[in-house]
Amino acid sequence: MSTLIMIDQPPYGSWSGREALDMAFSLAAFDQPASLLFTGAGVTWLKRAQDTAGIAQKSVERNLSAAPIFGIEAILADRSACQKYGLDESSLITGVTLVDANGALLEQYDHTAFAG
Amino acid sequence: MSSFDTLHILNKSPEHPRAAQCLALLSKGDALLLTENGVLLLSAGRLPAVGKVFALSPDVSARGLGNPVGDVTVVEFGDMVSLSLQAQRVISW
Amino acid sequence: MPERNSEGFLEDAQAWTENVATTIAAEDNIQLSENHWEIIMFLRSFYKEHEMSPPSNRLFVKAVKETLGEDKGNSIYLMQLFPGTPAKTACRIAGLPRPTNCL
Repeated sequence: MSTLIMIDQPPYGSWSGREALDMAFSLAAFDQPASLLFTGAGVTWLKRAQDTAGIAQKSVERNLSAAPIFGIEAILADRSACQKYGLDESSLITGVTLVDANGALLEQYDHTAFAG
Repeated sequence: MSSFDTLHILNKSPEHPRAAQCLALLSKGDALLLTENGVLLLSAGRLPAVGKVFALSPDVSARGLGNPVGDVTVVEFGDMVSLSLQAQRVISW
Repeated sequence: MPERNSEGFLEDAQAWTENVATTIAAEDNIQLSENHWEIIMFLRSFYKEHEMSPPSNRLFVKAVKETLGEDKGNSIYLMQLFPGTPAKTACRIAGLPRPTNCL
């Protein structure tokens, strides 16, 4: 049973993405295969060099870097959304795989879920 | 044997971008289950041309949409479980 | 002793010192050995890097295993060092926030 967790909301301003991350980590805790897919404004989670000191929140960039340690299988980002938000390989955090978020991709997972 | 390829569970209102994405991906052989504000699709008169449409009864009633027109089956909470078991994959929008 | 919450976790991770750790551990009747310090230091660097405590006990074990290997990254070893819920006990002693998914 493989699960794809989709994040289509930007990182700061709502908790929905963090809930998604929590969901993915919980699946990994029980050794359930889980991957994350960032689409739309959600790809801005993956921008390098986020400095959250001024907004008194934890950096999702740093939180996300724990994903491989916890056993999250892949961090995927929608190619066209990345283009739209001006993100290329040099501005993305390491370990992100660019994909086309379409029906064929979702068919590879038993369950796809958004949070929020 | 699965009755449906993908069960799409949509709880977003028709104005939410995810509703449009969901409907764009809906194919023949899929099922669409409308819950929460997703049932507003019934009043917006935009039932999809493909796939089988279900709507969750308490959400339909709560919004005064009882006896919806068109090809839609109103189901109870318990039916959600059997619907997901009948599908090969589930996407929760 | 710096300010702590009702469950004994430090309000400010910056306020932590080795003496603070020794004092909190003593409340749990734990005398800190080199093996304890290894895990405490691992947790503090994990927090610095990822701005979070491992959210649950299982993920704590996973993270230790990933970094220090299977001899230490297993629940029996960690349970012996940090009785109760190891992730919770260890984070408390390490001066880090309570793991979010530990009851």
